[in-house]
Amino acid sequence: MTIQNLVMALQRFWSEQGCYLAPSYDIEVGAGTMTPDTFFRVLDKRPWKVAYVQPSRRPTDGRYGENPHRVQKHFQFQVIMKPSPINIQQIYIDSLTALGIRLQEHDIRFDEDDWESPTIGAWGVGWQVLLDGLEITQFTYFQQAGGIDLFPIPVEITYGLERLEMFLEGKDNIFDLKWSGDVKYQDLRYLEEKEFSEYNFSGANIRILQKSFNLWEKEAQSLLRKNLPLPAYDICLKLSHFFNLLDSRGAISVTERVKFIAQIRNIVNQIAHKYVSKES
Amino acid sequence: MPSSHVKAALSQLKNKFEEDLSSLSVTFKKLKTYGTCRRLIVLCDLAIKQEDKEEIIVGPPKAVAFAEDGTFTQAAKGFAKAKGVSVKQLQVLKTKKGEYVGLKKVKKGKLTKDTLSSLVPQIISSLTFPKMMRWEESNYKFSRPINNVLCIFGGELISFTVAGKSSSDSTTGHRVYFPQKLKINSFQKYREVLDRKKVIVDQEKRRRVILNQIERKLIPLNAQLLPDEELLEELVYNIEHPYVFLGSFPENYLSLPLEVLSTAMKEGQKLFSVVRGSKQLPYFLGVADAFRDSKSLIRKGNERVLKARLEDARFFWKEDQKIPTGKRLESLGEVVFQEKLGSYKDKSQNLKKIVSYLADKVDAGKTKKELMQAAELCKTDLVTEMVREFPSLQGKVGGLYLKAEGYPVSVWKAVYEHYQPTGSDDASPSTLSGALLSIADKLDSIVGLAGVGIRVTGSKDPFALRRHAHGICKIILDKKLCFSFTRLVDKMLNVYGEKLECSKEEVKSYCSEFFLSRLQHIYESRGYRYDLVKAALQAGIDNIYYSFLRLKALDALKTSSHFEPLILITKRVNNIIQSQPPYKLKPDLLQEKEERELYTTFAIIKDNVLPIIARGDFTRAQKIILSIRSSINKFFDDILVMAEEGKIRRNRLALLQEISKLFVHIADYSQIVVEEHNKD
Repeated sequence: MTIQNLVMALQRFWSEQGCYLAPSYDIEVGAGTMTPDTFFRVLDKRPWKVAYVQPSRRPTDGRYGENPHRVQKHFQFQVIMKPSPINIQQIYIDSLTALGIRLQEHDIRFDEDDWESPTIGAWGVGWQVLLDGLEITQFTYFQQAGGIDLFPIPVEITYGLERLEMFLEGKDNIFDLKWSGDVKYQDLRYLEEKEFSEYNFSGANIRILQKSFNLWEKEAQSLLRKNLPLPAYDICLKLSHFFNLLDSRGAISVTERVKFIAQIRNIVNQIAHKYVSKES
Repeated sequence: MPSSHVKAALSQLKNKFEEDLSSLSVTFKKLKTYGTCRRLIVLCDLAIKQEDKEEIIVGPPKAVAFAEDGTFTQAAKGFAKAKGVSVKQLQVLKTKKGEYVGLKKVKKGKLTKDTLSSLVPQIISSLTFPKMMRWEESNYKFSRPINNVLCIFGGELISFTVAGKSSSDSTTGHRVYFPQKLKINSFQKYREVLDRKKVIVDQEKRRRVILNQIERKLIPLNAQLLPDEELLEELVYNIEHPYVFLGSFPENYLSLPLEVLSTAMKEGQKLFSVVRGSKQLPYFLGVADAFRDSKSLIRKGNERVLKARLEDARFFWKEDQKIPTGKRLESLGEVVFQEKLGSYKDKSQNLKKIVSYLADKVDAGKTKKELMQAAELCKTDLVTEMVREFPSLQGKVGGLYLKAEGYPVSVWKAVYEHYQPTGSDDASPSTLSGALLSIADKLDSIVGLAGVGIRVTGSKDPFALRRHAHGICKIILDKKLCFSFTRLVDKMLNVYGEKLECSKEEVKSYCSEFFLSRLQHIYESRGYRYDLVKAALQAGIDNIYYSFLRLKALDALKTSSHFEPLILITKRVNNIIQSQPPYKLKPDLLQEKEERELYTTFAIIKDNVLPIIARGDFTRAQKIILSIRSSINKFFDDILVMAEEGKIRRNRLALLQEISKLFVHIADYSQIVVEEHNKD
């Protein structure tokens, strides 16, 4: 099994469940949850089924390509089903079987793990899924997003593609994974990890980041006033990424962290309300 | 469902079914509850129907209901009509108020199957969980989505709907091995079928299975498990069919401390550490939800994941130690303890002053210097990578780093232990320094937060202050520490100074009341009688350890023959002096023999007993004051307290007030309920 085979198998499985296969979003995000195909679509009352690969950036997780498990950019396979089917847990298990995993030979566990993203005013209840002790999936029933109580309740399933692939290939090092038959993860990602770690931890200019944050925050506010919630949200994603970079540069104290997050959440909540009122 | 939710649900189910079945008059026997992460089960022997109920409806008085000729009057006929019966069914009823005419109606009990079809969904809907979620159209709230409700009585399906799901007579087996539907018509069948389909329904049996399998793996290794009741309990409910596997990790990770190794194993993968004595071995035990691991895939997978976690831990262990603890103090200034109270750096400066005060009070002057150093450094591990990764290791990691840097044991051990006890089952710090630092840290939080208006109310306790207070009391009792609680609070208020918004008096009285209620809770949960607890606490809690000694003395006395006389004496004294203003005793005004004798006895007892009370020997103090008994009885027999002459009367009352005051130094005996009073 290669990563691209894994992706194709998941795409096939979830499209058979009625999911629309979305392209990845083109702005830096910390998790698939933050992309519009999830964030906006869970807010309204219409049914929605979507699946997509989303590159996710967490600057502080950078390890210069030297750590066998941690990388500052990884790939998530994101699934949203709204409303959540009552047998969704079984469907999820079937998806693992569809990958050729013989669950009877393994230990699959659903451990309590309630999820929360203060930046986008969202929380949910659910599990982290462990396969022989390896966390492969985050499984969440959203309860709130953008500060709005959701109805109907969507379920989010987020597979960690690298984790899953390490399990399938039985590899101990992320860089040894095969993306395709003859392209290794190492070939595609090693240099990127090395350079971006450098950028995240020392290269990024703190002053420029701070200025950008303030500048784009004004822009988000102004777009809100112009009643353009979708572009305003894109700007919030940028803000979130600037914030993450400032954090990895060690430029944010604990008190400031709370303030930054509240600033972004405040705008995101307004965006959510605006979107909902436009939709209805 | 999370295991804590399963446990919470099982005890609620038991209580609610017992309560509701009793109030509905449905006779039941052998009510039992079982549960796994996927099932909540109630089993009960039930009567086929509710008990019949005789209903008595009282009508007009007999005299009004019958005419002189013995026929029914208009009043009786009207009553019968209103109740929908013929007059012939009326009968004479004897009541407390005399004879009346009325009806006896037998209300037939409802069939249990009908009762259940409304009761079961109602009880399921009334369950509450620490966190609830919605998932379906009616916005029903529960721990996790309800997939299936199985309800059988007398071999038949009981029909109802819960959370949009109709009840059924089927279930499913183990999630992975047997997800197919299984028909069920009795609990016996349910248990048997599930047993075959790899689900052990009974939690106690699962616990035994886990422990037996663990034992079998450990014997050949001549090793033990690092005990972890919390982890075991979690696994018992998390798993439907336990399978224990033994795994290993490379020995080079053994250079990490046991605390770090066991935490890395426990968190995430939920593995047990294997030790010999206090030495970690390069093994772990895991519990899988499986019945075999024939290809060793489960073991190998867990080994691989653990190795990665240990690699991370070793990285943190090395990286953190590149910065000496002293230097970390600066970055603590950035970690907020509470917005108005300042950073953890501020807090550790406070703690330094407080432990210095506390050390003097409890005769720990010798270690004062080290203790102050520990106080200053105790929070530095909050900015380490290790604590960021494993928050539950806070304190311990700080202590271990100090140890590695060569700090004396009195410093590192105090830091290591200063979060203890973290729960009611956790041990108090083993060292006096650790105990004092822990008390200082916890009380500093309670006082500071109270000073900016953050208090415990009802279910709100965001800073876990109740747990802090329990911890403080537990340490004081375990370590037999004597110091003035009020003065310690005073000291803390002074240290905070201007930062606090509430008045000192307000914070002090809040703290006293808070600890009074906590101590009451602690003592009662240790099984002491509530009235003895009250009597002991009413004598004051400024010295918390003494309040416990008082209680123990009372508890020991309660079975002795002296108990009742002592209580009766104090009650008699209190009855007379209650609602009297305080008077001053003038010994020369005592004229009668009996009152002079009482005074002399009292004076001798007082001189003897005060030093004994001061050193906390309340058992002996009680014995001594009991010797007042014969003098006081004679006094009551022969002396009229309420003498006509005002100054004599006031003086006699003053004598009794003095006696009562002395008694209250030991306990407030008037709080105690004597059995005899309950009988009538």
